[in-house]
Amino acid sequence: MRPDPPHRAIKFLRWFCREDFIEEVEGDLVEIFEMQYEVSPQKARRKFYWSVLKYFRPEFLKMFSSQNSNFLTMQRHNLKLTIRSFLKYRSQFLINLIGLSTAIAAVLFIYLWVNDELEMDKFHQKDEQLFQIYSNHSDASGISTWRGVPGLLKDELVTVSEIETSTVFTDTHEFTLSSNDSYFRAEGKFADSSFFDIFSYELFPSGDKNPLKDESGIVISEALALKLFGSTDVIGKNITWHFWEKQKEVFVRGVMKDTPNASSDQFDFIMSWEFYHNMIEYKQWGNYYARIVVALNDPKNQQNAATQIDKILKKNLESDRVTLFLKKYSDQYLYNNYENGKEAGGRIEYVRLFSIVAFFILFIACINFINLSTAKATQRTKEISVKKTLGASRPSLINQHLTESVLISVASMFLALCLVWVFLPQFNLVSGKTLSFDFTWEFGLAASSVIVFVGLIAGSYPALYLSSFNPIALLKGKLSKGKGEVRGRQVLVVIQFALSIILIVAVIVVQGQMSFLQNKNLGYDRDNIIYFEREGKILENSETVINELKQVNGVEGAALSGFIIGGGNSTGGVDWEGKTEEDQIQFWEIKAGMGMLELMGMEMAAGREFTEEFSVDSASVIINETALEAMGMEDPIGKTITHYTGDKKIVGVVKDFNLISLHTKIEPMIILYNPKETHFVIAKLEKGNEAKAIAGIEEVYKEINPGYVFKPQFLDQDYEALYKAEQRVSSLAKYFSGLAILISCLGLFGLSAFTLERRTKEIGIRKVLGAGQFSILYLLSGDFTKMILIGIIISLPVSYYLADQWLANFAFHIPLSWWIFVVAGLSALFVAWLTVSIQTIKAANTNPVNSLKDE
Amino acid sequence: MKPPSLGEFEELVLLMVAALHDEAYGVAILESLETKLDKKVNISAIHVALKRMEEKGFVKSRFGGITSDRGGRRKKFYVITAFGKQALDQQYSIRTEIYQQIPEISFN
Repeated sequence: MRPDPPHRAIKFLRWFCREDFIEEVEGDLVEIFEMQYEVSPQKARRKFYWSVLKYFRPEFLKMFSSQNSNFLTMQRHNLKLTIRSFLKYRSQFLINLIGLSTAIAAVLFIYLWVNDELEMDKFHQKDEQLFQIYSNHSDASGISTWRGVPGLLKDELVTVSEIETSTVFTDTHEFTLSSNDSYFRAEGKFADSSFFDIFSYELFPSGDKNPLKDESGIVISEALALKLFGSTDVIGKNITWHFWEKQKEVFVRGVMKDTPNASSDQFDFIMSWEFYHNMIEYKQWGNYYARIVVALNDPKNQQNAATQIDKILKKNLESDRVTLFLKKYSDQYLYNNYENGKEAGGRIEYVRLFSIVAFFILFIACINFINLSTAKATQRTKEISVKKTLGASRPSLINQHLTESVLISVASMFLALCLVWVFLPQFNLVSGKTLSFDFTWEFGLAASSVIVFVGLIAGSYPALYLSSFNPIALLKGKLSKGKGEVRGRQVLVVIQFALSIILIVAVIVVQGQMSFLQNKNLGYDRDNIIYFEREGKILENSETVINELKQVNGVEGAALSGFIIGGGNSTGGVDWEGKTEEDQIQFWEIKAGMGMLELMGMEMAAGREFTEEFSVDSASVIINETALEAMGMEDPIGKTITHYTGDKKIVGVVKDFNLISLHTKIEPMIILYNPKETHFVIAKLEKGNEAKAIAGIEEVYKEINPGYVFKPQFLDQDYEALYKAEQRVSSLAKYFSGLAILISCLGLFGLSAFTLERRTKEIGIRKVLGAGQFSILYLLSGDFTKMILIGIIISLPVSYYLADQWLANFAFHIPLSWWIFVVAGLSALFVAWLTVSIQTIKAANTNPVNSLKDE
Repeated sequence: MKPPSLGEFEELVLLMVAALHDEAYGVAILESLETKLDKKVNISAIHVALKRMEEKGFVKSRFGGITSDRGGRRKKFYVITAFGKQALDQQYSIRTEIYQQIPEISFN
């Protein structure tokens, strides 16, 4: 028996070797193999493999690409056929084009948004090294996490070897600045001189190298310079800074470029930290008034550095309730929520959510494409089978159909780019961003990967499916339409509608929660209340101001107030009789003037408000119900608590109202009578008379406080600002789910048109045999109804789970009632029926003669 | 036009094709070359040389008849062309000419 040469080696050789050489080469190889086999079979085999490998060189390689020598011609032919088929099946082409291009536009919008979110704060050159110091505070109710740290910590940080540099600063706040008696409001902060070493906010070279080194320096942005002086050449000019009763003359030591959009911190000026630190009285290790960012030598040392920093605090503060830790500076924006001291998501959840939605939408559009192309297959069988008979190989057919789908996805991409370009301003409005449509290479990459994704995902199934037909059966007119194929299309429709219903439920729940938040009774009245900051003359003459305001037409009342939506100060420095170690409670602290509670519509559970009749109120305090419960006090009126500013007598208990946000439960609160230190004047306006009242207030303001900018703010707007993120997500979700439903319906429309076309004869015969319109309608929409019902059944549990998860973010939220799901399901069903019925009614009404006359 | 070049190994193979005359095919050339040179040669090298020389017009080829050897695959026989012979002659004359110019050198 002859030995067999290695099978695999021969296969490989035949794959790559030129056909005109193969016989000779193989023959010689086999001959050598047979000779050597007699000596040593193993060696022969090895040698055979080795020799085959040696043939793998240019002279022996097949011309792979010239296998089909008329490659370009074929491509041109494919292109021509594609365009012809677009023209022939115009409605189908349009459905695909509209569906895909809107989907791609949505995806591009989401891409722009997500990209912008992810790039936030990453523009700093030292981004990798920057970490913010956070503090975890534990008390009876759990751990709360703050960005604040004691400002005294900054000077001690030099002892930590892992830290390269550090900077200390305050949050951005709105202040009044004046120059030559003209007053402006501007956002600013205090920072020490290393601020510009740490962060990459750009300074113009004309200014001081170290502009914040002494108390009288200020750095202003280009925009502010233009506003104040009408020029950017302003080094050395003087500006007066005002806050409450304080003033300071400072000199411009530097001008910086406006803060970039990618910065989560937007400010117009920076003043010296030294000035701030010398001005404040609460410089203690127990006060968390500063923000510190450190640049580490090596980001890997984060844990080490944090331990060191924490040790410094522990050394200076006799309390183990506070722990310091480090968080990457650029991570703060996306991961901004904490639950009991642990990171708990934040904006990143919306980034993820929208990425998933983008994928959903694209997927739905691809399903349309797949469904319509496979459905169309019946009409193109002749073309395919003739091609196959003439020798078209399967790859070439696949190639043809992929050309078609890639071409349509390229066309959709162009249309989508136009859509994005046109709608970008609206999108920016809704999303609250300033996205621009620059054609960067990254964007190009994203766009082309979408093209490839859509082209391949949408095109591959039809291409494989169409090219698999048996030409003999096809030409005989027997297209085996197995149950499986129809079932496959139905499954895809079910998936589409399930996804759409999930999105509808999401929209209903988010909208419901939003309107719940807006209308929720917070325990105080926020409508028609305006407030403005006490500055200049209003500090001394506050009594007069309040009295004059009360006289203004349309003003129901006015008071001094320290009430700020979203919080303000909080303190642990409260003692009371019977306080134990475990009772360490953080209280929100509000300073109030006379009549503030009544003006804001807060109700008293017991006792009284601060009023004029009692002149000794400076030593009195009002607590809320939660505080009362937390302190475990009974019959509180008249009892004394020890605040860090002195003993205070409880004169009243106010019913709980929601200060922070509805994300959190109501927390203990004390309200101190301290009109001198309140920061705001609030006024309640008459309903329907607001514009006049504000004009009147402005008049009073201008008269008493000339020069200063009157900038009233509405309390309800502040309140809404708390839920901006949710608000934006809610409106974005509305648009995107609308799109998803639209695209699903487009698909359904196309599919039903196709089904009806195929069944025209059947309908004709049925009508001839006496079927009524209604029974035909029933017959035709039955299939679709079934699919959508299955879609509903699948989507309900999923959407219930998702909605439940989202609502858990709110301490106060709407119940997930059954009607939400019924509405979502019914509306999907209704929209689908509407889509299908346009065509079914037409089909049911056609005269059977017309459909049956030709065969 | 310059005549196509003839590499060293190519020259050896071409000589062998000429020597074996009408019986020259891959394995035969390989075996004779291996005995003459007393070293291992890979068949692929021979094929490469043959293909190149065929392209240059030094040799031409034909298929032999089908036999039961080699799994039924035909042998491909090579013969030298007049042009190939001319190239060999030229190469030979150049070498002899130069060789004769070597003066008598004693290496002792």
